[in-house]
Amino acid sequence: MAERARAKNVLLHAALVAACIVSVYPMLRMIAVSLRPGDRLLSTDLSLIPAGASLAAYGRVLAETNFLLWLWNSLVITTVTSFIGVSLAATAGYAFSRFRFPGSKLGLTLLLGTQMIPAGMLLLPLFLMIMRLGLVNTYLGMIVAYSVTSLPFSIWILKGYYDTIPRSLEEAALVDGTTRFGAFYRIVLPLSTPALSIAFLFNFTQAWNEYLVARVVLCDASKYTWTLGLFELQGQFLTQWGMFAAGSFLVTIPVLLLFLYSSKWLVSGLTLGGVKG
Amino acid sequence: MLSSLLQVAQFTALLAAAVALLELYLHVHFTLFEREWFLPGTVLAAGLLAAGAGRSLPLTLAAASVQLVAALVFKHVVRGRHSLPIMLLAPGFIGLAMLIAYPLFFEVYLAFHDLKLTTIMAWSRTGELPFAGFKHFAKVFTSSPLASVTFWELFGRTVWWTFINVSCHVAGGFVLALLLSKVQRFRGIYRTFLVIPWAMPQVVAILALRGEFHSQYGFVNIMLARMGLSPVEWLTLHPLLTCTLINVWLGIPFMMVVILGGLQSISQHYYDAAAIDGASAWQQLRHITVPLLRPVLGPAVTLGTVWTFNNINVIYLVTGQAGGTEDADILVSALYKAAFTFYRYSYSAALAIVIFLILFALSLLWLKFSKGSESVYG
Repeated sequence: MAERARAKNVLLHAALVAACIVSVYPMLRMIAVSLRPGDRLLSTDLSLIPAGASLAAYGRVLAETNFLLWLWNSLVITTVTSFIGVSLAATAGYAFSRFRFPGSKLGLTLLLGTQMIPAGMLLLPLFLMIMRLGLVNTYLGMIVAYSVTSLPFSIWILKGYYDTIPRSLEEAALVDGTTRFGAFYRIVLPLSTPALSIAFLFNFTQAWNEYLVARVVLCDASKYTWTLGLFELQGQFLTQWGMFAAGSFLVTIPVLLLFLYSSKWLVSGLTLGGVKG
Repeated sequence: MLSSLLQVAQFTALLAAAVALLELYLHVHFTLFEREWFLPGTVLAAGLLAAGAGRSLPLTLAAASVQLVAALVFKHVVRGRHSLPIMLLAPGFIGLAMLIAYPLFFEVYLAFHDLKLTTIMAWSRTGELPFAGFKHFAKVFTSSPLASVTFWELFGRTVWWTFINVSCHVAGGFVLALLLSKVQRFRGIYRTFLVIPWAMPQVVAILALRGEFHSQYGFVNIMLARMGLSPVEWLTLHPLLTCTLINVWLGIPFMMVVILGGLQSISQHYYDAAAIDGASAWQQLRHITVPLLRPVLGPAVTLGTVWTFNNINVIYLVTGQAGGTEDADILVSALYKAAFTFYRYSYSAALAIVIFLILFALSLLWLKFSKGSESVYG
């Protein structure tokens, strides 16, 4: 009996290890390609550390392309949008969490409903609006296009978190003479720092990884975000593969770490929103 | 670079000022609605402001009448109630109205008018478009959004794509979650490695995998060659299959994490009781695990279906380059290409509305179906 349980356990681990290899392998390959020396970029070699491994591709992607500029563009656009998104969501989420007013239920449902709208559907009118405002190919156009895309989800996350903060804290503050808004601003908001940072992170990664809107709004290579830049590099697959892989790896590492750190909260936010809606 | 940064700073300051003005406006209306001069005073102020800004009579009259309606609402309907929630919600609400609700109406307007490359210059000067009626809606069903693929082919592909992807996501996620819940050691490490496809930036993951399906230097064909099989032209001959494989790989971790959460919330007592009654492992799975996962799985599958149905990223990044194939396109990616590769604006607006109606009908059906099953299991 013990023998059988042991065999079963080995089998379990073997299956999981196999699954892990499938899920990690593409990234390992990316690293392998980025380490290839320039003259051996195109080979059918599958080893993870290629012969004659060098960091030359990293140097080249930083020096010969606008990689750093692309990162900078992404950073400016993403930071401003996340800041706007979270500020709007912080107050709206509080209204939904603490007050009953006509349309509060309907409003929450409609917010979930916006997630059903195909992204491609909103993009055309948004693009035309941005064009008429003369904001094509500017940071501002991107910020306008991104600023509310994550708002419904952020409101749900924050509302869920506010719901867990006991009202007695605010009531005590009211007795001590603060206003209703003061109670929110001085008591609830500081207590919600974890949820606020998760919402910020969610907004940030959404905008940071976005490609389709950027493709439409930005056309000048000096305004490109990194997603557009990498797509360009990958388009010249045969000549720039190493540089593409090096750039991809550099972008992936921080995003990966942030995600692993925050995924627990994101999932609970997702299912919370889904179950209650 | 500096000037665009300056522009961003200006914009943020402007935005903050606009929000402050809005809140001030609301505050004045919430606190002063009972004064005698409230109605004539605010209407006069609005009229004067508009007259000063626009110097035209129609604008002044419009501003004054809008303010009259608003003031009447504040005086007789709102009466100072719900002041704080309204003030908290106003900025976000206006943002959503301008950037989601207004574009939706604009899309409907576009679908019934004629905006294409030849009329866009005139439109951006005058803002007027020739009326087109249902012409574009008729074209959605009779002509191709791209070069030759028809609407019905795209529709069939979308259904196939959504069904295959979501089933694979749920099945793969379920198996992995089950395996994870059974092991004691290294669970955290396995979990971390297994969520990597979800954690990587999607653009990087898709582009990297696209490279791995390259006919000569991609991993897949190298492996096939080493096993003595002939290489497959993945990207040109089987683009939809390639996209599906990539998307399955991308989507499994989300389902795995959700299902794992669900599994961990099922009490061990049920399994102990079932084991005493002599239930086999399969029976426990069938009669305990699956039914108890339902509340978690329901919303996750709904979300997953909508996401997959609306997924442009994978297909566009794999086939969207110049000269790319249209054999992998589903409805939404064809919509994106029709608008932004072929510049058929009004046509794609009509297509977008048709797609939206399909999605809406499907979700109503789904709601009805899941309500029905709820009463069975409830």
